[in-house]
Parts: sequence; C-alpha cells; structure tokens
Amino acid sequence: MQIDWLTVAAQIVNFLVLIWLLQRFLYRPITDAMARREARIEERLSDAMSRRKEAEDEAEDLRKKREELEKSKQEMLEEAREEADELRQRLEQDIRDEVEQKRETWHEMLKDERADFVRELQRQAGHKLLNISGRLVAEFTSGKLDDRIAQSFIANLKDLDTNTRKKMAAAADSADGPALVETAAALETADRGKVTRAIHEEFETDIEVDYRVDDEVLLGVRLTIGEQTVEWSAARHLNRLNRELDALLDSARTVRRRKTAD
Amino acid sequence: MEISPDVWVLYEWRGLRLNATIVFTWGVMALLVVLSWIITTRLSEGETVSRWQVMLEVVVTTIRDQIDEVGASDPERYLPFIGTLFLFIATANLLTILPGYQPPTGSLSTTAALAICVLIAVPLFSITRRGLRAYLKSYLRPSPFMLPFNLISELSRTIALAVRLYGNVMSGTVIVGILISVAPFFFPVLMQLLGLLTGLIQAYIFAILAMVYIASASRAQHKNDPAPDAEHSRTSRKGD
Repeated sequence: MQIDWLTVAAQIVNFLVLIWLLQRFLYRPITDAMARREARIEERLSDAMSRRKEAEDEAEDLRKKREELEKSKQEMLEEAREEADELRQRLEQDIRDEVEQKRETWHEMLKDERADFVRELQRQAGHKLLNISGRLVAEFTSGKLDDRIAQSFIANLKDLDTNTRKKMAAAADSADGPALVETAAALETADRGKVTRAIHEEFETDIEVDYRVDDEVLLGVRLTIGEQTVEWSAARHLNRLNRELDALLDSARTVRRRKTAD
Repeated sequence: MEISPDVWVLYEWRGLRLNATIVFTWGVMALLVVLSWIITTRLSEGETVSRWQVMLEVVVTTIRDQIDEVGASDPERYLPFIGTLFLFIATANLLTILPGYQPPTGSLSTTAALAICVLIAVPLFSITRRGLRAYLKSYLRPSPFMLPFNLISELSRTIALAVRLYGNVMSGTVIVGILISVAPFFFPVLMQLLGLLTGLIQAYIFAILAMVYIASASRAQHKNDPAPDAEHSRTSRKGD
C-alpha cells in the first residue's frame, strides 16, 4: 500500500481533464439533444393540439354553413313553391276570366243572332201575315187589301184624338217638306188620292204628300209630317209576337240549362 | 508480486516516471472520450434515434435519476462530476477482462486522487450553493463541541472512500493472481466474472457516496431536519 504523490497529482489532473472532456463531448450534447427533442415533441404536440382545435373549429363552421345552406334551400324551395302557387292561381284566374269573357262574347253573339233571327222571323211573318191577310181580305171582301188599308187609315185618321190631331196640324203648317206616307206595298193611285184628300181635310192643310214603300211598316200605314209620326200597322201585333217569342226562347234555354246542370 | 500498477514504470525522463497507472488512465479516458465523440457527433433530435445514442441517453438519464434520488435538487449541476466518477471507475474496472490490462483503480494513488477530488468538491459545491458562512457553520452542528468530530469524519470518510475502492479492485487482481498459481484453469475465470460485478458495484458505491456527501453538505440546514443523520446512516449502510 503505497501512494505516489506525483501519480496522485497526475490522476487529479487527468480526472479534471476527463470531466471537462466528457462534459464537452457527452453530457452537454446528450442533455441538449434530449431537451431539444423534448421541446420539439412538446411543440409538435401543442401544434397537433392547435391543429386539432383548428380542424374542430372548421368542422363546426362547415356544419353551421351546411345547416344555413339547408335552411336557405328550404326557404328558397318554399318561396319557389309559393311563387308557383301564386302563378298557377293567377293563370287560372286569367283563364277563368278569358273563358268568362268568351262566354259573354258568345252570349252577345247569340243575342245578336237571336235578335237577327227574330227580326227576320218578324219580317217573314209580317209578309206571310200580309199575304194571308191579303188573300183572306180578297177572298171575303172581294176587294183589295190596299184599298182596305187606305180605308182603315182614313177611318183611323178621323178617329184621331184631339191632342195628336193638333200636333199633326201644327207640324203640317210648319213643315218645309212634304208629308210622307209609308206602306208595305205601293198604294194604287185611287187610294193615294183618297189618302191625300183625307190628310188635307183632317189637318186642314194643303201639304204635298209623298208615298213610299217600306217593308218594315207591314200591313198598315205610317204618316210622318215634319217631326210628328202616326202609325197603324201590323207592327204592333208583331212586336207583341216578338215579346212572346223572346219569352218562349228564354224559357226554353232555362230548361235546357237546368237539364245540363242535372 | 506487484500489487500496484504504480511500480510498473514504462518510461522515465529526468526523474519523472511514466507508470502504467497514468498510461492506462489515459487509455480509459481516450476510450470514453472517443466513444462519446463518435456517438454525439451523429446525434439525432427526431423520432429515429440510433441504438448507441439510446445507450448514452440511458446512461446519462440513469445517472441523473440517481443523483435526483439522493436528494439533490439540481441534478444537471452535479452530473459532470458524479457521472465522470462513475463512468471512469466502471470503465477502468470492466476493462480488466482485457489481457495485460492493469486497472488504474487498483492503484491507491488513483483512488486517493479521486477521493481528494471528492474532498475538495464537497465544500466547493456547498459553498457555491449556500455560501461560505453557512458551510462553515455546518461544522459546528449540532454543537460547537462536535467540530473536531466533524473534521475527523470529513477526513476519515475520504480515506475510507479511497481505500475501499483500492482494496476491492486490488484484492480482485491479487486473488486472480494467486488463483492462477493454484488452480490455473477454471477458478480465475469465475473470479474475473465476479471481479466485473464487484467493479461495477464499486463504481456505483463511489459515485453515490460522493453524491451523498455533496448533497448532505449542500442541503440547506433546518433546525429539525433529520436529513444529514439519515444520509450518514445510509453511508454507513452502503460502506463495506
């Protein structure tokens, strides 16, 4: 057991040098590397955490957006549906209006046609009536219908009420033009003379009298002096016939409608 | 029979003898430094770490954990000193399996040098941590009458540290030498294996004791702090 103090000193130096060398080449690099790795792992962990947080936030955002989108889609659909409904109703209303208008036009046309038909019927009935009356009168009186018309006109003129008579006389006085006698068929000259005479006598005037044929007068005479007119004709009867015919047509239509409704 | 590598002089120059202790110490130092250097130049900070680096990291963290367990609050501070003690002694002892190698720790000069280093390190660490006054005061605890005993304790434990390591390593070498002359084939191998175990245990004991001394001297003394006594009991338990 011996101690070489020189060796001891050398070993102390050696040991201190070894401490320094190992500190330089072993402990510091290793602990630094470990610390750096730990820091790095920590950083990556926190990074991962923050990324996860970010991702979760983003997912939440997306979910909200999707919900909003869904909501707005529903709203838009609802809106579109409402618009479509509205449009459909409007179109229906338009069509209904149009149909109504057409029906009215058709009714108008129908009414016009009916009026035309009635007028035509009236005219033809008048003529028929005239013919039949003429034939009857000719058969039973062995005279002419024109003659009967003229006589009847003269008789009626004589029975004229005072008020009308006065008005007619005043009109004859103030008239510029001639008096106008309209008949369905042309009167014969003798009848014309009787009529002219009767007018002159009844209204105490010497007004000139013109004769004219008018289909519408129908079995009778219409006398026009200035503004005043008097008329005795089958037209009155025909008007009555007209009214009855109208009533008949209306009732027939009502019955038909009721049937179609049933 | 040579029992110390001190007397194995390899080179002499003007009275300065270069003995085997110093040369083998240099060898151990070179081995440690070169290995560390080679491994730490290729350190990885990523996920993939080489197995050599893992080994070094395990060694360093284990030493650090041991220091921490002894009770030092700042392991990084003591790591170079304690770690170097352990690594140097362990390497020097483990290399005995090489033929022709004489462990420098089998020389009392080396163990004395290491013990002197511990003797100086204890007050140094304590003073830098607590201040000179607090350190000196610790010699008067628990009463000023204890001053001589404290001083004796300081010296005796240093000597014990040196002699313990020297005795264990030297005895191993001597036993192997004796056994080779008695039973040259089987027993020396067994004793060598046992010597490896003893060498590692001695390195651990030396380093841990040094750390316990430093820790007990560095710790702030509280009036009711039983820590120094506990450490003393631990010291005596761990001593041979």
